[in-house]
Amino acid sequence: MALLDWAKKADFDMIFKRYNVIIEGPAIKPEDDPDVKKVLPTAEPFKSLAMAVIFGDSEKAVQAAKSALDRGTAPLDVIEKGLAKGMDAVSALYAKGAYFLPDIMLSADAMTAAMQVAEQKLGRAREKKGTVVSFVAEGDPHDIGKNLVVMFLKANGFEAIDLGRDVPNSQVVDAVKKYKPVMLTGTALMTTTMTAFPKVAEMLKEQGLSVPVFGCGGGAVKRDFVESYDMGVYGVKAFHAPKLAEAALAGKSFKDIRKEYPKIVGEFVAEYADRM
Amino acid sequence: MGVRRYTKMAYKDPDEMVFGHAKFPVLEHWNVQFGAGYVVPEVKVAPEPGTERSKETLVKEMASIAEQAAARAVDIGLPAFMVEQEHVFQQTYHADWGYACTLAQAEVLKKYYDEYGVCAALRQTVGDLRIEEKGGLRGSEYDNAIAQCVEECCKAGASDICAETMGGKSVLDYGVMRGDIRAILFGIGYLGSIDMEYFWKRTVAQCAKYDTRPAGDTNCSGANTCMYVAGGLLGKDMSHTGAALARAISAARSLVAVECGATGPLKDCGYENTIIKAITGVPICQEGKNAVCAHADVMGNLTCQVVDCWSNESVFHREEMGGPTPAVWLQATGYEAALMNTAIQTGNAKTLRDLYTFTDMFRDPQGTLLAYPNAYRVGKAIVEYGKDIYLRARAAALEASKIMMEAYEAKLLQMTRFELDTLRKYTSILESLPMEAEIFVDQCMREYPRKIPTFDPKSYGL
Repeated sequence: MALLDWAKKADFDMIFKRYNVIIEGPAIKPEDDPDVKKVLPTAEPFKSLAMAVIFGDSEKAVQAAKSALDRGTAPLDVIEKGLAKGMDAVSALYAKGAYFLPDIMLSADAMTAAMQVAEQKLGRAREKKGTVVSFVAEGDPHDIGKNLVVMFLKANGFEAIDLGRDVPNSQVVDAVKKYKPVMLTGTALMTTTMTAFPKVAEMLKEQGLSVPVFGCGGGAVKRDFVESYDMGVYGVKAFHAPKLAEAALAGKSFKDIRKEYPKIVGEFVAEYADRM
Repeated sequence: MGVRRYTKMAYKDPDEMVFGHAKFPVLEHWNVQFGAGYVVPEVKVAPEPGTERSKETLVKEMASIAEQAAARAVDIGLPAFMVEQEHVFQQTYHADWGYACTLAQAEVLKKYYDEYGVCAALRQTVGDLRIEEKGGLRGSEYDNAIAQCVEECCKAGASDICAETMGGKSVLDYGVMRGDIRAILFGIGYLGSIDMEYFWKRTVAQCAKYDTRPAGDTNCSGANTCMYVAGGLLGKDMSHTGAALARAISAARSLVAVECGATGPLKDCGYENTIIKAITGVPICQEGKNAVCAHADVMGNLTCQVVDCWSNESVFHREEMGGPTPAVWLQATGYEAALMNTAIQTGNAKTLRDLYTFTDMFRDPQGTLLAYPNAYRVGKAIVEYGKDIYLRARAAALEASKIMMEAYEAKLLQMTRFELDTLRKYTSILESLPMEAEIFVDQCMREYPRKIPTFDPKSYGL
């Protein structure tokens, strides 16, 4: 067969290059990564809590939380000085391509499990940074993007109200009325379901409602479309969602966020290359 | 209608497979044949956002898409072409919209066929509106709407019907996000196959009443989700080896449509179609380098290797410098098909096939797996356990793993640590899974209904 002969002779570098293999550095332990070192606590029990989150080990995270609480560590410190720091490290590893989506999900699961133990001791849920309402456009059943957005928001200390998929526009408006979120997120895979976004923006305006940011993204959604209606900010990656919400919390308007998107999310974003 | 499980391959040797030829060609009205010795170009255009606001505007939009494509087909001298329309929500949900839109396009294509003799096919891909947590996959309002729409599209003159059903997606999504290969196998391979049987027994029976072929169903919601989440070489959401395993599993699932009576040409975005063609001999549509308008992929040439109908996947309906998108992108797929047809006519088909294959065979693990000699191996693994939907999906994944590891060890396929580690980890999990479907399902049912709120076991008769 020609394919086998060609495989012996061809110089593959002249056909393609696997840049992911080429740029791969030596394997290092997550805790030795310089960006992780910056956020990783050095004192116990916080280091163990953070490490359990970094390794996405729910059992160890729960164990470390129980043990810290038994020894008198304040529940809020368990969360803020231990678990949350582990999640910060995970975000750093993800942003640089050392960690992948499943790593983040397992870390988020570990953090959630251990946080529940700490919150039980605290007697209430820890205070959240703010509330975000998330939905998938009416007529659209594709929700993996929305699920990621919700996960990233929760892992970063936001109250994420998940309205689900195929959500009627009126239900989105009602949720904005009820929760007064700092950000609304809408996702759609299809070009024809994304038309729900301007309709929602219009309905909010008609009812005298607004949100600081209406982050929209997914499949066929593009920046020029999202920027064609008020409040719309085109969200490129799910993990940008907490950064956008934090910007809104800090008082930035949707117009500011549109202008400063790459700066706010802290990385090069091709879709906003003209605004770097 | 029964389900005919495949336990042997349609082709004796992978080298018998080449573009434009299928063991079982399909003839559709307006005289288009698929797999009968030539490749048919396809164009698919999504209606301009906003045109779905009323039935009238959408019907007008559909007619315009068909007219622009047909006019360009004649202008550049294409012998045959296909227009595929993937439905927007409203088009499937309101059966009368589905009817009117199909009729408008059918009338245009018939007019061009009558006037110029240009052979044309009209594919209607109904939307899978069903949502597990909203009434389930069987007998819900959405499910009934789909069934009614299929009927109306057939009545209105569709040449064939396709779908991209979503069975097993809730569990698959969980597996993708958690890196859980068992959930991916359960979601696509087991639940997906069960839902396919439900959906395609019905659809095949409906099409049989009309001059409409039940064409097929891709695992767009599963294996393509994995492929797109994995992204390009610098993607950081899923390993490309994991996405390749999902693809192998999806072949066992998408095969079910053919087992229920679907004839092909299988739908374009089913990258698993090469495997299914090897097993069944039905013609296939594919997409690749001329689908750059829709997405980036890492096997733009390879997917031409054994294609029978070459597609652009999807593009917005708008103006390009070269004209409206239905015209422009049919021209793109039309010239690629012309190259393949020239190769067939000049006796160079196998050489061109191998060139297409070789450009991408080691660019990415999924390309390695789908290169036709390897796709054939996955097909053989499937038919070995052909009667058991679980075991054959597991066997497909294990064979795919073997193929990728062999290419890696031969220093042909390079992998990152993440790709290699994931492959080794997933393989070891797959190997450790039980050899009895009942035990596997029991294990999954103990875990996933509890962890995945949107998973509705009743939708699968579980």
